[in-house]
Amino acid sequence: MAAGLPHPLTYSVIIDEALGLHLPPHVYYMWLAMIILFTCAFLLRGRLQMVPTGMQNVFETVIGGLEDFTVANIGEEGRKVFPFLCSLFLFILVMNYIGLIPGCDAATANVNTNAAMAICVFLYYNYIGIKKWGFKYIKHFMGPVAALSPLMLILETVSHLARPLSLTLRLFGNIRGEEIVLVLLFVLAPVLGTLPMYFLFILGKTIQAFIFFMLTMIYLKGSLEHAH
Amino acid sequence: MRSVWDRTGCLMFFPRQDKPSGALEVLSTAGTIGLHLVSATFVGLAMGYFLDKWLGTEPWLLLIFLILGIVAGFRDVFLEVRRIQRRTDGDSGAMK
Repeated sequence: MAAGLPHPLTYSVIIDEALGLHLPPHVYYMWLAMIILFTCAFLLRGRLQMVPTGMQNVFETVIGGLEDFTVANIGEEGRKVFPFLCSLFLFILVMNYIGLIPGCDAATANVNTNAAMAICVFLYYNYIGIKKWGFKYIKHFMGPVAALSPLMLILETVSHLARPLSLTLRLFGNIRGEEIVLVLLFVLAPVLGTLPMYFLFILGKTIQAFIFFMLTMIYLKGSLEHAH
Repeated sequence: MRSVWDRTGCLMFFPRQDKPSGALEVLSTAGTIGLHLVSATFVGLAMGYFLDKWLGTEPWLLLIFLILGIVAGFRDVFLEVRRIQRRTDGDSGAMK
């Protein structure tokens, strides 16, 4: 919850000094998120059961729910792109939650992390569209009326280029704002002021991860479905 | 055998079994609308600015692309709202 401000108590500073790598803090917290997810995945892979218990239950509910949601929206083709969507959701969710741990910082509170993910999304849905439709993918940019197609081409290009920008800024602004509010409230009234906000921000961070997931899904749906 | 995990972790995301809650869905859709407008405007502005620099047609392309960006932003908002509306009308659970 350091919000990227200079902070004597962030763990990344200590780790950075120990390793001597001179990397910015958000890289370490992204690695932490990766370690958490990989550990969970390897632990679960070892003991998968037909009747799920414990952790497997959680992951089956979350991933199963998201898969149903994706398939309900995109259709059966959604299963092909679902691994990308789901790993994005889990990755962002874990990175967001790490920001709530005292002494840690959310990796998504830095604009670079979000820009990298948003550009990945942009390249991926265009790749999927071009792979499915080939050269006809350009019809997705033309709009329904032939006479208006040059105008629509420019409009669609602008709105497609705006997508990674808005994905980046939305996640960055929300998470960074929440981190700053936490730090300020902690300065004003330690623990007592921060604790109620945790409940609000757990909701907020979940919603932001879900928004990123849902928008990616809508973009993928747009590039997979038939043009108008 | 249902553990504590089941009751705490899962229920927060999926109150109805196996489905993200409707409130979460609508909240997130509503949360996306504002930035569509802003980011499309800025992308239009940036495109116009750099095209102007490249082609040397000082203010004109900037103005044209700024207006195009605003139009594209409004169009995005319109499409998003129509998506919400269709979802509430049809209510098959899927956003069209």
